[in-house]
Amino acid sequence: MPSLFRLLLTIIVLAVPMAAGAKDQLAIGLSQFPASLHPNMESMMAKAYVLGMTNRPMTAFDAKWQLVCMLCERLPTFDNGLAKRETGADGKARVALTYTLPADAFWGDGTPVTTEDVLFTWEVGRHPQSGVGNAEMYRRILKIEAKDAKTFTVHLDRLTFDYNALNDFQPLPAHLERDRFSPDPATYRNRSLYDHDSTRPGLYNGPYRIAQVVAGSHLVLERNAHWRGTKPDFDRVVVRAVENTAALEAQLLSGGVDMIAGELGLPLEQGLALAKRDDPRFQVIFKSGLVYEHMDVNLDNPALADRRVRQALMYGLDRQGMSRQLFDGRQPVAHTQVNPLDGVHAGDVPTYGHDPAKAAKLLDEAGWILKGASRRNGKGEALTVELITTAGNRSRELVSQVIQGQWRALGIDVRLKAEPPRVFFAETVTKRRFAHLALFAWVSAPENVPRTTLHSSQVPSAANNWTGQNYTGYADPRMDTLLDAIEVELDKPKRVELWRQLQHLYAQDLPALPLFFRAEAYVLPRPLTGVEPTGHQDPSTMWIEHWRWRP
Amino acid sequence: MSIWLLGRLAQAAMVLAVMSVVVHGLMGLMPGDPIDLMIASDPNLTAADAMRLKALYGLDQPWGQRYLAWAGQVVQGELGYSRLFAQPVLAVIGPALVNSLTLMLSALALSLLLAVPLGMVAALRPGSAVDHAINAFAFASASLPTFWLGLMLMLVFAVSLGWLPAGGMQSLGGDGGGVIDSLRHMALPVATLAIAGLGQYARHTRAAMLAEAGQDYIRTARAKGCGPARIALKHQWRNALLPLVTLLGLEFGSLFSGALITETVFGWPGMGKLINDAVMGNDFNLALTALMLATAMTLAGSLLADMAMARLDPRISLR
Amino acid sequence: MKRDLPALIGTIVLALLLAATVAAPFVAADPEAMNLATIHAPPSLFHPLGTDELGRDVASRLLHGGRVSLAVALATAVLAAFLGTAIGLLAGYHGGRLDALLMRLTDGVMALPLLPLLIVLAALDPAKLGIDAETQSTEAFTIGRMVVIIALVGWTGAARLVRAQTMTVKARDYVRAATALGATPTRIMLRHILPNVASPMVVAATLSVGNIILVESALSFLGLGVQPPMASWGNMLTGAMNVIWSAPLQALWPGLAIFVTVLAFNLAGDGLQRRLDPRKA
Repeated sequence: MPSLFRLLLTIIVLAVPMAAGAKDQLAIGLSQFPASLHPNMESMMAKAYVLGMTNRPMTAFDAKWQLVCMLCERLPTFDNGLAKRETGADGKARVALTYTLPADAFWGDGTPVTTEDVLFTWEVGRHPQSGVGNAEMYRRILKIEAKDAKTFTVHLDRLTFDYNALNDFQPLPAHLERDRFSPDPATYRNRSLYDHDSTRPGLYNGPYRIAQVVAGSHLVLERNAHWRGTKPDFDRVVVRAVENTAALEAQLLSGGVDMIAGELGLPLEQGLALAKRDDPRFQVIFKSGLVYEHMDVNLDNPALADRRVRQALMYGLDRQGMSRQLFDGRQPVAHTQVNPLDGVHAGDVPTYGHDPAKAAKLLDEAGWILKGASRRNGKGEALTVELITTAGNRSRELVSQVIQGQWRALGIDVRLKAEPPRVFFAETVTKRRFAHLALFAWVSAPENVPRTTLHSSQVPSAANNWTGQNYTGYADPRMDTLLDAIEVELDKPKRVELWRQLQHLYAQDLPALPLFFRAEAYVLPRPLTGVEPTGHQDPSTMWIEHWRWRP
Repeated sequence: MSIWLLGRLAQAAMVLAVMSVVVHGLMGLMPGDPIDLMIASDPNLTAADAMRLKALYGLDQPWGQRYLAWAGQVVQGELGYSRLFAQPVLAVIGPALVNSLTLMLSALALSLLLAVPLGMVAALRPGSAVDHAINAFAFASASLPTFWLGLMLMLVFAVSLGWLPAGGMQSLGGDGGGVIDSLRHMALPVATLAIAGLGQYARHTRAAMLAEAGQDYIRTARAKGCGPARIALKHQWRNALLPLVTLLGLEFGSLFSGALITETVFGWPGMGKLINDAVMGNDFNLALTALMLATAMTLAGSLLADMAMARLDPRISLR
Repeated sequence: MKRDLPALIGTIVLALLLAATVAAPFVAADPEAMNLATIHAPPSLFHPLGTDELGRDVASRLLHGGRVSLAVALATAVLAAFLGTAIGLLAGYHGGRLDALLMRLTDGVMALPLLPLLIVLAALDPAKLGIDAETQSTEAFTIGRMVVIIALVGWTGAARLVRAQTMTVKARDYVRAATALGATPTRIMLRHILPNVASPMVVAATLSVGNIILVESALSFLGLGVQPPMASWGNMLTGAMNVIWSAPLQALWPGLAIFVTVLAFNLAGDGLQRRLDPRKA
């Protein structure tokens, strides 16, 4: 019955004539509307997606996970002489980097992008009242020397292996924004032109500029007349926001939008279902990326503090089966927090396949003996595990229910709890209030050093005002040493070796139980080519000038 | 202005003040500062940064102080800035309000247009098959979950038949924005809301008509030889509409608070969505202003309804 | 009786529903038993309505979900009626300052938009009220929480109704006589006034159950209702909506269940009104 219905539905849907002909406009569906458009205030995926088409940061990671210049001529390295070592007064190693802005970089009103803009952006970023979220990056810059209108030298207060990455540095147009900032920096956030007059062309330096904003509904982007890079294919790009993903898919099927962004669109199960229907109008690309789905373990809990119990929990999970049956095999199983696409990934770490016998043996060794349907220790306590995750995320709901079933088979009583993200992130996880396990995801960048999540100094507590993201409470001096060493190791092969040791330690000690690297579904119309999902936080729209329409 | 009116206005102002305290307090009890959430999503954000941002937005003060600061501002006419949208609160509410009013008024009009005649027809022959059918239909239309109804209509009319767009306010091409285009986009959400609402109006009309049917003036007209339909159309319906006025007065506020679920399903950026986003995002200025606006409108609606009733029905006098 | 066919049908449907949901734990399979190999399976012998996205039996989840949804709806209706009656009695009987205070409170709660208020209440953290994690994970707590939240916003209609009735009855002679004989206000309220307000209260409560079921499903749509794996019609319907394009029939059963139940309560309540209060019929 259902397949007949589906067949009928498909036939009816195909009978609807598609919008044919030349493409002067591309309509993209997004599942969230960017509330604010300022590039340097709090980071939001919806905002990053839209601004990827209109603004360029200094540097970014491309689809091959290589660092590339977006708004500079050449990446400064020690080899090409544009990076120079310095030593601070305290003896710490520092670095001076010289960047040159491209000669053909212009704001949408024809003003060239100059060092003035860079200096202004730094001034805003380091002002304590400007409302910028990620002030750390600006604080690391000790000084910016302007050599001329296009060249400047940045002096950083430390030398790390990723010294030349200025990925979050988005220059602001000084000629427009300075007047909004200087009179009263504390209210700059509410007076910035990005939100007050979003359609001002001079705010944008990318291939497109924002031409119209209908709050809550859609944004219209038009060609930036002063863009000198590769000419993009479309005269207009419209981004339509529909929060309900079933309605978003309806928009796609009825021609309301041409494509759905993978970065912020359909949940994976919906994308998989869409792919299975083999609609001739669309192709669905699945890209797994740096979203690391895992379960943080509260290592203060006596049962879970025992490594054998953690390993038993891993052996009790059939992650390959879950990926195959729930996600069509599209979500690769994770063994550590490092993604296989990352250059520093080590392929030989200890892995945990589905081995219930081994799990049972480990639990017995740890003192949890199977009595009837549950496992009890010497004191008669039952092995109970509470698994908390974020509500409203279908994949996580499904995964946690399957995990409950698989661990129940081992005799472990699993209680599931779903909390709204606000409670989860602001209270439960940040303040280490989860009793046993917390299922959520970390988003990271290529070769991102997991200092905040694994270093012993980063365990949040009331004493340190809940700084740090080491929610598990993991404290191992070997890990600390490795983390400290990796950050300053400039020699790539040596660094890769240090990473290998880190991953081995992680897989052995299991401060968190790895699950998957989340995949995203990019739904594209067949004529659209050139879209390269990146798999990391820089959205694919940052290369929109390479998208081509070939009917 | 009469004493009664002044009294009611004073009471309304008091209710508003108390409700603002309640809502502000409840929102403050909701866990999860937006700043705390930022920490979770941005590993580069240090605790010092978080403290700095909290101080900037005034989130580090105790609840009472924050409320008094807000109340003081409002009394002086300063509604403040929306933290989420970085714009003045009214600039954010304005477009959303227009969108909601368009939607809700159209739905209300359509609902009444269908419901009142249905109710009258049902009342003409109480207990008959027609009456039972209309009653059942009225109940049925009120028994459907709104999001289910909306998505079903979308499935049939937008995806399968392709007659109407699946959501949004206008077409995205160069030809969007016209009146016909907007009407086409309004069709499905308005239909959803109208269907959901017409049940109660139909039943109220029917009940009111039946209540009138027993009155002396109707019996006199019948005795004089007037047919029931003629009586209904000439005399009865006027009086029967009075209870509807009270009902509409209470519904007045919903014009301003929008319909969250319908707006979400059809991507119609109205007050419902705005209030939800503001509440969930701990945007106190925006949430409180929007909620107080809706509350004030509800109170105004019931006040207007009472005044209208006094005018239309000479038997009622306002103490 | 023949005249009131819809009410009769409604009552019969409700009786069947109640019987089915009460019998659920005894006749239906485990609603949480997953089988990843048979996801979205068509109806078969073991699974008369097929399976859902985790291979669980839809029919069983429908019955168990019915238990949850009906339990929430009935308990909420009773609690809201209780609260409303108490407030209405006090306001109507005592009059004066207390009446004004209570009625302004009622006005205030009625004036606030329903959904935002529910959302805020649902988003409150139970831990802040001192309820520990142990209790929070029990089924009783989950249902109880829903009941309290919806009842806290739903008592206003009952309060107004009861207050109006109380004021009418209070003026009657036998009540005046009782007062003159020295009966305490409580006694008068409970023995003389309450029986008179009972029937409209019962009708109003019955008619409100349908609404509560719809509110529960709306909360599930917003992610604030009963959380899976516990089944409720609301969260089953919400889950089905997400896969509407690939498994359209999955939305049919919870949607139908909600529709039929709400309609049945409405028809039965309407019929009840016709019997108990023929003037309003």
